[in-house]
Amino acid sequence: MPDATFTEPTTIGAPSGETVCRVVDVRKRFGAQEILRGVSLEVKAGEVLCVLGPSGSGKTTMLRCINHLEKIDSGQIWVDGGLVGYREHRDRLYELHEREVARRRANIGMVFQRFNLFAHMTVLENITMAPVLVRRQKRSLAAERARQLLERVGLGDKVDAYPSQLSGGQQQRVAIARALAMEPKLLLFDEPTSALDPELVSGVLDVMKELAADGYTMIVVTHEIGFAREAADRIILMDQGVVVESGPPAQIIDNPREQRTKSFLSKVL
Amino acid sequence: MVSNRELTDLQPEPTGTRAADIRAVPVRHPGRWLGAAAVAVLMAQLVHTLLTNHRFEWGVVGQYFTTKSVLVGLLHTVELTVLAMAIGISLGVILAIMRLSQNRVLSMTSWAYIWFFRGTPLLVQLIFWYNLSALFPRLSVGVPFGPEFISGSANAFITTYVAGILGLGLNEGAYMAEIVRAGILSVDEGQVEAAYSLGLKRVQVLWRIVLPQAMKVVIPPTGNQTIGMLKSSSLVSVISVPELLFTVQIIYARTYQTIPLLIVASLWYLAVTTVLTIGQYYVERHFAKGASRQLPPSPLRKLGNDLKAIYDARRYVH
Ligand SMILES: Nc1ncnc2c1ncn2[C@@H]1O[C@H](COP(=O)(O)OP(=O)(O)O)[C@@H](O)[C@H]1O
Ligand SMILES: [Mg+2]
Repeated sequence: MPDATFTEPTTIGAPSGETVCRVVDVRKRFGAQEILRGVSLEVKAGEVLCVLGPSGSGKTTMLRCINHLEKIDSGQIWVDGGLVGYREHRDRLYELHEREVARRRANIGMVFQRFNLFAHMTVLENITMAPVLVRRQKRSLAAERARQLLERVGLGDKVDAYPSQLSGGQQQRVAIARALAMEPKLLLFDEPTSALDPELVSGVLDVMKELAADGYTMIVVTHEIGFAREAADRIILMDQGVVVESGPPAQIIDNPREQRTKSFLSKVL
Repeated sequence: MVSNRELTDLQPEPTGTRAADIRAVPVRHPGRWLGAAAVAVLMAQLVHTLLTNHRFEWGVVGQYFTTKSVLVGLLHTVELTVLAMAIGISLGVILAIMRLSQNRVLSMTSWAYIWFFRGTPLLVQLIFWYNLSALFPRLSVGVPFGPEFISGSANAFITTYVAGILGLGLNEGAYMAEIVRAGILSVDEGQVEAAYSLGLKRVQVLWRIVLPQAMKVVIPPTGNQTIGMLKSSSLVSVISVPELLFTVQIIYARTYQTIPLLIVASLWYLAVTTVLTIGQYYVERHFAKGASRQLPPSPLRKLGNDLKAIYDARRYVH
């Protein structure tokens, strides 16, 4: 069991080997509006961090920053021992070349609220494309791996289907398989069940619980309090671009200290 | 409000036998029948004129329809269309990508190109290319402002045929650029992000995700442009490129059989257009992959369905 206590990252600099992702005092502006106002968090190997918080609090933006889909204005993000988007050399930051950004992104899996499967590709092609193109895996090997992953998410019979022929829950499980195919060091989930019909939610959550039990390192933005209680090692609550409270599920859900946590939970529970 | 639960409770118990299909007399549409009858009369009159007016000289049409010179002209027309469209589509893709680039120099250049080529008449452009040698008597390939590798007189490079293809292709590029741009913009942003998050590079995202899906939006107007090009290619007759129209013009200048020879050309344009229309249908079907749950039925299938519907409707009336 990984260490589940929250350690406020105070030191700037590369985190120790056990830390997979460290976000240090990150700020992000869109125009004049500051969306992230000094966010810090840390995820250790094998840990599941759930992120709660009202809509518009900057949760999606934070995930996108970790994946460098969005550039941060200040602070630092470390993933797997490397600075996201930059290279440090003699106290100066150099922007990474596109090639290098892509190489690092390949180690971070992302699952989106709206699935974002490639509509013109079959389920199998969706999953094998990146391993073949980015990891240079042999097509036959990638296909075999993809079939195993599909079995694992319970969709072994949908190999040749197109995304439009699947239900939302099935699409999301394919999207998870697609992310897993890259053997990511870190998995990011952005409200993976928010776009699903109620009866399809549990299928996706079950897959995610299995991944958590298998030791994947995950950051999960979610409104599913039950899932957070069961699967999270630690929960943070974000509001208006800052982390309001952080701690183990028992503390955050059952004994919140902060007023904003209490009022948020009273709305979703 | 009645909840779902109650609704299902109201359903009768399944009894094993299925309720009979509805048999109802369809609504009559006398207005439609009158309209159809009027159109039929006009059509009959048209056919009658075509067949009985001897000034159409159908015999002459038949005589020239497959002569060698006409067929060679047709071949040139098809060749011009294919090459000009190939240039137009390639250029259109490049211009569209430039137009959407973050780099202002690239996007403004593309904008200016489109502005210029859409803003001047094609006929003027063709005559311009034809007369290029007047502007630049010598053309050369080499380093800009530096040494030249190949050079020669413009007339040797720009034959009338090359001038025709260039004129049509460069003009087409401007229109295709807008079509491709619309296609690119139609692709779901989320899929692009998903591709980036898997570690794909910009060029890979463009080729694997964006362009294949842009095709669905790009193909119908491109088919339209190709058919347009088939006929615009007749404009190069003004710079004496021996395509279909120019060929029949040469013949009727000699024989004065203007109308029948224009009919010969028109029938060929119609024939090629028909082939292109059918081709477009199958290309569209190919790129509809994954877009809808079922591929649309083929035309034959559709005809079959229509006949069956008519048959069924009649059965219910009796
Ligand atoms: N690309 C963008 N440009 C401008 N504003 C943005 C952009 N992305 C997000 N925002 C704004 O940032 C705020 C936080 O958004 P988001 O991170 O999606 O919140 P959450 O995921 O917690 O609901 C919202 O007010 C949103 O309008
Ligand atoms: Mg969000």
